[in-house]
Amino acid sequence: MPLVYDELRRIAARYISRERPGQTLQATALVNEAFVRLAGERPRSFANRTHFLAIAAISMRQILVQRARARRAAKRGGAPERVTLDEGLIADEGRSIDVLALDEALTRLAKLDPEQARIVELRYFGGLTVEETAEAVGVSPATVKREWAMARAWLKRALRGEPRRSSAGGHA
Amino acid sequence: MNRDQWERLKTLFHGALEQSPETRLDWLTREAGRDEMLAREAAALVAAHETAEGFLETPANVDPADIAGPDFLEPGTRIGPYEIEREIGRGGMGIVYCARDMRLDRRVALKALPQVDEGDATPRERLRREARAAATISHPNVATVYALEEIDGRLFIASEFVDGHTLRSDIERAPLEQTRALAIAADIARALCAAHDAGVIHRDLKPENVLITTGGAVKVLDFGIAQVESVKAMRLTHPGAAVGTPAYMPPEQLLGAVTDARADIYALGVVLTEMLTGQHPLTPGSRPMPVSASDIAWRCIQIDPDQRYQSARELLAALERQLAHSSESAVDHAAEAIRAEPSAWWWEFHQAAAALVYGVMTWPAWIARGIIGGKQGDAMFVAVLAAAIVAVTLRLHLWFTSRFYPAELGWARARAAAWIVAADSVFAGALVAGGVLIGDARPELAVAQIAVGVGAAVAFLLIEPATARAAFRPRTRL
Repeated sequence: MPLVYDELRRIAARYISRERPGQTLQATALVNEAFVRLAGERPRSFANRTHFLAIAAISMRQILVQRARARRAAKRGGAPERVTLDEGLIADEGRSIDVLALDEALTRLAKLDPEQARIVELRYFGGLTVEETAEAVGVSPATVKREWAMARAWLKRALRGEPRRSSAGGHA
Repeated sequence: MNRDQWERLKTLFHGALEQSPETRLDWLTREAGRDEMLAREAAALVAAHETAEGFLETPANVDPADIAGPDFLEPGTRIGPYEIEREIGRGGMGIVYCARDMRLDRRVALKALPQVDEGDATPRERLRREARAAATISHPNVATVYALEEIDGRLFIASEFVDGHTLRSDIERAPLEQTRALAIAADIARALCAAHDAGVIHRDLKPENVLITTGGAVKVLDFGIAQVESVKAMRLTHPGAAVGTPAYMPPEQLLGAVTDARADIYALGVVLTEMLTGQHPLTPGSRPMPVSASDIAWRCIQIDPDQRYQSARELLAALERQLAHSSESAVDHAAEAIRAEPSAWWWEFHQAAAALVYGVMTWPAWIARGIIGGKQGDAMFVAVLAAAIVAVTLRLHLWFTSRFYPAELGWARARAAAWIVAADSVFAGALVAGGVLIGDARPELAVAQIAVGVGAAVAFLLIEPATARAAFRPRTRL
């Protein structure tokens, strides 16, 4: 784990020195680059690509959560800032997701359904495709799709922070 | 929400999605029956799903600056008299850069302390101590510390820039040849002698901290958590706050007890084993290593510090003796290499034996099927056969992994565990059930089936956990 972690940070550092700061890139890009580098250097350390991606997904989640926490701590004094989830923004702006709230909700989901939480971790933080996720979790792609749909719906509700009853009131 | 409710919710959710959007709510109300709470929950989830288009669909977007850390200095940055050239590594204590000292126009390794909360002076104090301690050591096998700099409120340590690669990358390519491994170990021991004489303990010796220069010399770096061996320093690293890398720490250091120079002896024992076998000495199913060298490593990694070499000098003497001996005989000690590992052997034997029994028992199950007849007979036989196929495949896979890819065994076991438990239970259950059903017709076969069924149950409930524990417990000796 620390190996993947260090490599991700090292590659991120190289991105900064190569390109203009302030721009974002997808987690997937970092994860893939780390794999290519580490697989070349340490062919025996990882059982296979999926194994690596799974570890990288966990690392990404940890790094992002740590950074978000540090940034929040830096703003101490005022109330913790929460980025509101505007429905319109979510579709095209992955950045508008509050990483800390998502992490917290994901931890709660893991208690109800560890597999669903894992799938979200792999897909969102690791950028794995449905097929790669299926291989990492050890289930069929169809199952991943179904579980992913439910996990996403559950998280959407959890992140919206609506009281549970009101959402059902609509059709009653 | 408990497990059952969650499973129900899942069924409702997936079921509802199979309905057309207009009929979903009605379908849910109908299916949920009296459980209104669950119906509401499911309806809310379905509603969330319908508006979740695109949500989390794009993997996390990251700002590289966030991940690289706020302390990252870009190449070309001037910091005091230094100009950053590139990053060369990261450790627990901070980022290390290759930089140029403009005053003397020489390359240095510049280590930055991560920025910490104002109130937390511990890392700063540690780094100050590191510089002061390490600067007192002067030895060809130790990377020289030049200066401790405080620039704009931040601390940097400038030390000799060593051009080369880490011992870790050597080990990862392939285990080292014995004479070379002993020679490197001897050089590390020499570095430790010099440090210990200066009252400095490394406390974080590992292959990552040993550099092989392009000229082939050995340099021990990063007395990162080294402390001057004094009572004053002891107070700063309070017990319980383990600093270092766990895999290379002796038990007393892991437990947060007071450590002395013999902690470095332990770490060097681990490093020596890794050089020769490519593996940590406490890896299950460790690869064999030459007995002569393993005796030295073994003595280094004794739990009781009193049982180890008592000083780096004593260890160095042993290494030099062995070096002289092995260059004399020049014979590779491959023949005497095998240090049998009985506990792992038993576990492997158990896997192979269980696979064999499972395979053999499908035959009596087939006979029993004929006697029982009908659907019951078929069901019993199919259960035995299916369980046997699953269990045999998985156990042979584990056996194979243990023999040829021991490093991946832990992972393989974790993945197979649930399947093996399930297959074992089905197998034992089906055999006993079959035995009971044919009791009157073929008593001897019945007894045999029940006996093997019960035996299998006992084996996987009692014996297997014991052999697994024996094989996979962290061993305290080599």
